[in-house]
Amino acid sequence: MKARRAGPRLHALEVPLEGMTLLVPSASVAEVVNPSNLTAVPFSEPWLLGVVGWRTLAVPVVSFEALLGAPAPASHAGGKILIFYPMSGRKDWEFYGVLATAEPRPQALDGSQPAVSEGELPDSSYIASGLKIANQSMLIPDLQALQKAFYP
Amino acid sequence: MADPNQYLRMQLGGASYLLPSTAGFTIEQRENLITNKSPEGNVVAWRSVRSSRFPAYCLDANLRVARHQQWHRAVFLDAKPQAVGLVADEVQLLPRAETVISPFTPLGLPPTHAGHLFSGAWVTGNRVILVFNPGALASYLQGLGEST
Repeated sequence: MKARRAGPRLHALEVPLEGMTLLVPSASVAEVVNPSNLTAVPFSEPWLLGVVGWRTLAVPVVSFEALLGAPAPASHAGGKILIFYPMSGRKDWEFYGVLATAEPRPQALDGSQPAVSEGELPDSSYIASGLKIANQSMLIPDLQALQKAFYP
Repeated sequence: MADPNQYLRMQLGGASYLLPSTAGFTIEQRENLITNKSPEGNVVAWRSVRSSRFPAYCLDANLRVARHQQWHRAVFLDAKPQAVGLVADEVQLLPRAETVISPFTPLGLPPTHAGHLFSGAWVTGNRVILVFNPGALASYLQGLGEST
């Protein structure tokens, strides 16, 4: 069997969620913090868990599970918040957070990892594609779809 | 002229929120208001000014309508077409130098046609106090109805 050709390495983070794993570029993450007090934002979307104080900013924290229609994790214990840099075209203070169930793990991608088949991907516009790493499906978020949901 | 750096802290239920002084507001003591004796309805009291009366609502920490009698004052926002108020467990005008407000945009669809309810935040360590967008707050309160 022909080995897949390895390309340039891309550093990614494997982000464990409840029942799924995300894969995001390491460069898109500003910091990983412990979930401290989340302040509720009244009348917000069900996937917006609240805001966390980070540096001098209030950073909105999202449940990716809830975005995909699943219940948000009941507890934040043992979890982490990934603080993402602002999305393209947004203001430089518009960081956002995603709640993970555990510490994210680094992954080096070189193009040899097989894609997850369409049928295995969740039926959601927020997932662009997926990769199989060590037999585990890792979902790659669709940032454009997320941007539309975040800033309609 | 209102100082844009001055904020009124309001305690609603167990939560604190800030209102920028640019909003234009009046704080009224309970004894100067006409309280709603009926247990029905959203309005908890009215402020009577000449031939008009402006409603005040009681909100819980999640800004949902609540009815309780343990309040002493109401904050009325200068809004069009008429002023609208909310009762607060506690109000405090914060010293100008004390508050540093960061911009903040909630994610997702805004809950009022005037936009998101919040436009800033005061972050001190892990504590976050959200700052009302006065126009959207007035729009939300006016949407609670039963104004007269």
